[in-house]
Amino acid sequence: MLSSECVMAENDSKEMQGFTREQINNMFSFWTDVTKLPTIGPLYAFSKDITSYASDFVNLGKVMAELKTNMDTYWTLMSAAYARAMKETMERAPKQLLTKDDFENYRRAAIEAFEDAFTELFASAEFSAIYGKMFSSQLDVSRNIQGIAEKNSKTLNLPTRSEVDDILKDVAELKRSVRDLKRSIEMNDKTGTTT
Amino acid sequence: MTKQELRPDQKQDVQPPGEPARTVKQPNVADEIKESYRKLEKARSILHTAGDIEVGQTPNEVLVETRAYKLLHYQQMVSKTAKTPILVVYALINKSYVLDLQQDKSWVKSLLSQGFDVYLIDWKTPTPADKYISFDDYVNCYIDDCVNTVLKKTKVDKLTLHGYCMGATMSTMYTTLHQEKVRNLAVIAPVVDTEKDTTVIGNLAKHMDVDKMVNVIGNLPSEQLYACYSALKPFKQGVNKYFNLVQNIDNEQFVGNFLRIEKWLYDTPPIAGETFRQWIGDIYQKNLLVKNELRLGSELIDLSKVNVPLLNIVADEDHLVSPQCSAPLNDMVSSTDKRLMRFHTGHVGLIASLYSQNNVLPKVGQWLKARSQ
Repeated sequence: MLSSECVMAENDSKEMQGFTREQINNMFSFWTDVTKLPTIGPLYAFSKDITSYASDFVNLGKVMAELKTNMDTYWTLMSAAYARAMKETMERAPKQLLTKDDFENYRRAAIEAFEDAFTELFASAEFSAIYGKMFSSQLDVSRNIQGIAEKNSKTLNLPTRSEVDDILKDVAELKRSVRDLKRSIEMNDKTGTTT
Repeated sequence: MTKQELRPDQKQDVQPPGEPARTVKQPNVADEIKESYRKLEKARSILHTAGDIEVGQTPNEVLVETRAYKLLHYQQMVSKTAKTPILVVYALINKSYVLDLQQDKSWVKSLLSQGFDVYLIDWKTPTPADKYISFDDYVNCYIDDCVNTVLKKTKVDKLTLHGYCMGATMSTMYTTLHQEKVRNLAVIAPVVDTEKDTTVIGNLAKHMDVDKMVNVIGNLPSEQLYACYSALKPFKQGVNKYFNLVQNIDNEQFVGNFLRIEKWLYDTPPIAGETFRQWIGDIYQKNLLVKNELRLGSELIDLSKVNVPLLNIVADEDHLVSPQCSAPLNDMVSSTDKRLMRFHTGHVGLIASLYSQNNVLPKVGQWLKARSQ
């Protein structure tokens, strides 16, 4: 009796209100699948990485602010050199420009003054340091943008630049190993021939 | 001061008594402006043709071509009088045709006319895939392959290695490691002791974060090189040369010379990242070459090992590699036959000028010939 009740109950559950269990499962799993959909697409990847993206953009802002500070210092040095050159030009150049020679002398004086001022600047330790800092900040900006782009490469299932870099490094090292092996074989052959 | 007034230092043009009155023709300002405008327009249109001008016209054949270089062999012009062939190692900065820029200023042609058998390594432009090519590859692979090819072709056991600028430094590195294949080392403006370098380039290199640059960008981009060039004599050369061009725009020879140099200046390939890292980091910042601590792969570059005849050619007015940076090479090597030649010219003037043809090359040829039999 018990077993026949169980069979009946099972049949009931299999065909609940005219639906088979399979149909019901499909009906429910449809919504489950819909909710899972972003996990295989870029949207999910973006939503998963949202914190990381936000952090990247904050960092980008920071390095851009640093770049601006360094660029301001750079332009301050350049402007000071320019002002110095202009002052020198005024002192060295003819006071009035009336003849062709006056213009020629003005040009010469200006070239000399600007050359002196800017060469002195470019050869100074201060300029070298700020130029280095500015260049470094520019690289930081590029690095941050690259970091964001690399995440997108992952989203698209493409190898990232770092991964391609690793392969290039491996290829370069392999080439060197092949070269060294070839050389050692040649050396062994030569030694073998002479002995 | 009006036009008629004179400053105390100015002499008045006094009419001698009894002579007929001279009529001094005043230049017409309008005509001058018109003429200047014509010259300016002509200069503007000519500058666009710089890329078309022909360079490197001395006949040659390509002996070997790989992804990294072409090995050129120049046709002999006179019967060969020097037994030892010359292999010219050009720099990785700009293109090698500066050594054969034009017929009357060609370094290569002058060597050929003096009876030398001349070969040249013409480096190709590195691509982003070449980021990890290092000095080890350039010296121990590419230069060595070229040396072996030349030795095999000429059936001699040693050659003269002749490098320019960065190529001179690479030639020196090669000689320390493969001296058995080198009869003479003749270098032009080699970068050796960077602590003594007084140039703007040396100054800018001091604070460059080269590791970060290579990691982020890869190869050194051409634009970065232009930025460095523009800091070298920015007005005397960078600006003034265009005034001179406008003034001499009707002088065909002047314009031709100008355009060839201009073409070369702006023909700047990138430099392979790893090589640049060593160039700036190891050589300019840490000065490892002069400390005998530079490593190419597993091998140490010890300059004191060089004992072949050495000719070191430097320029007093060199603003890219100062003579103080190049000259110490002669003190570092063990060679007993060594000579330092100094010339009153600049980095490019040393190799591609009439001065070089008349003053530098005859002496270089003489030195080489005495050691090439």
